[in-house]
Amino acid sequence: MTRSHRVVLSVVFWAFVVYLFVPLALMILMGFKDSKFIGFPIKSYTLDWYIGVFGDTELMVTFLYSVAIAVASTLVSVLMGTWLAVMLAGRAFVGRAAVYALMILPALVPGVISAIAFRIYARQLGIEPGMFAIIWAHAVHNVPFVTLVVMARLTTLPRSMGEAARDLGADPFVTFTRITLPYLKPALMGASIFCLLLSFDDFVRSFFLGSYQPTLPVLIFAKLRSGMSPEINAISAVALVLTAVLGVWAERSSRRMNKDT
Amino acid sequence: MTNTASVGAKRGAPAVTRPPAAEDATRWGRLVAWKPYQVLTGLIFASPRRQFLLLGIIPLIWLITQHLGPMLQMFQVSLLDAYPVAPGTETHFTLDNYGTFFNESVFQKPFFRTIIYSASLTFVTLLITYPVAYYLARYVKRENQLALLLLVLIPFWTGEIVRTYAIMILLGNNGAVNIALKWLGLIDRPIPFMFTGFSVSVGLIYLTALYMLLPLYSALEKLPRNFTEAAADLGAGPWTRFRRITLPLSLEGIGSGCTLVFLISTGYYGTPVLLGGPNSTVFAQTIAGFFHVAGDKWPTGAAFAVIMFVAALVLSGIFTRLIAFLRKGDS
Repeated sequence: MTRSHRVVLSVVFWAFVVYLFVPLALMILMGFKDSKFIGFPIKSYTLDWYIGVFGDTELMVTFLYSVAIAVASTLVSVLMGTWLAVMLAGRAFVGRAAVYALMILPALVPGVISAIAFRIYARQLGIEPGMFAIIWAHAVHNVPFVTLVVMARLTTLPRSMGEAARDLGADPFVTFTRITLPYLKPALMGASIFCLLLSFDDFVRSFFLGSYQPTLPVLIFAKLRSGMSPEINAISAVALVLTAVLGVWAERSSRRMNKDT
Repeated sequence: MTNTASVGAKRGAPAVTRPPAAEDATRWGRLVAWKPYQVLTGLIFASPRRQFLLLGIIPLIWLITQHLGPMLQMFQVSLLDAYPVAPGTETHFTLDNYGTFFNESVFQKPFFRTIIYSASLTFVTLLITYPVAYYLARYVKRENQLALLLLVLIPFWTGEIVRTYAIMILLGNNGAVNIALKWLGLIDRPIPFMFTGFSVSVGLIYLTALYMLLPLYSALEKLPRNFTEAAADLGAGPWTRFRRITLPLSLEGIGSGCTLVFLISTGYYGTPVLLGGPNSTVFAQTIAGFFHVAGDKWPTGAAFAVIMFVAALVLSGIFTRLIAFLRKGDS
């Protein structure tokens, strides 16, 4: 633990931070370029591209479509994920390891394979590509993340609390809704925001299961395939700021709630 | 009623919940006293066994139909000679779709390219993030660790496509890197980074670094500081301390980080499409190609997806075994 080590390692660390942030900063900056042509140097600046983002109806529809998908899929994921977490964290049962493995499966399947598996399954079930199919695929894919977060929180729940409630005459349902659920609140909130972001950011499942109406990442992808332009920078930058703010806010407030209890 | 409720609330209030308001308590009381509720809970909670079976059935059905179902269906389709089944015809099970992969080298090239890309970028990601995680876990004060971790997390809240685009701006012919190199006088003409295996790898490393960083950080953070201090007291130099103590004890984090990054990086589709060129096609693109056409090629695509998944699982399984072997050998 000499000083020279500390200096070298801190340089590496901050270089890593620069590496993470510079591409995004350049992307935001390029959205201010007063030219249709992407590239350096930037000679004059304009706000037009960013103003354009908020005046574009097609874009707003796409944005709301993505948000609606994110909210709907999150509701399903949180419900099923919590249910599974309570089951897995409860008393031991035969086949628990198998249930755990099945629970985690959607998180381990590489993106493109998961997307086409859902595509085939949707066809088999007669689900047309479109909003419902995307919601369904996102919901299934995000369940393991909810379960893991909720399980981690459940293991810290003092056993005595549930026992006390039962001693006072509460049945399992009342104990769950009045003791367990309030205790899980920070985990549920953190998991919900995480699911919202996973769904909002997802490209591969939305791409394979979508119909004509694209989600935001699919729209950006389609625009990029026909060429880079500062317009895409502005759209991406707005999406970037929205997701980053939501993520940081969720992280901070769930930490605070964790500390409170 | 109000009186008892408030007394009950005061006594029974658990530390986590605010004391329930009086009308709240009566609402719960009314629910519990409600006849249909009593019948229902009486049925469900009659015995712990019945409670488990009745409440566990829905998540079990969900797991089998939603988590396992798509994968099984994909496997089944991969064995069919035609899909979707045309009316009036019969489908047969066949292994031809798997044979297509082993007989045609056009398909093997992107497959091995994906394996090589993913394996090498996993290694590079490990080299990049290990010192970062080490610094964060061992040199930063505990109260500052979370803030710095949060800072590093910010870029990862953003999606695949947006971050891929950021890499495009960085690596383009008029991109930041080329302009900087030209300004420094190192090059005259821009280096064509884009649409090569290099740009795909840079993009994928940028996307997956977090999945390496977090397991490494949590492994290194758990490592007691006095281990290395004791070794130093016994005269071990920094390199020996790292090789004999820190590295073996962080093997678990290395194992899970590498497995995650490897598995995840094989599944990206949008990034290689946007950053890659004709000579850097990955297997995800090959698989996806079968699904752009109407549907008669779906069984082949499904078979290729199964091959990819099995190969990725087998390779990460071997890797996990290797890590376990190393851990045992060191203790």
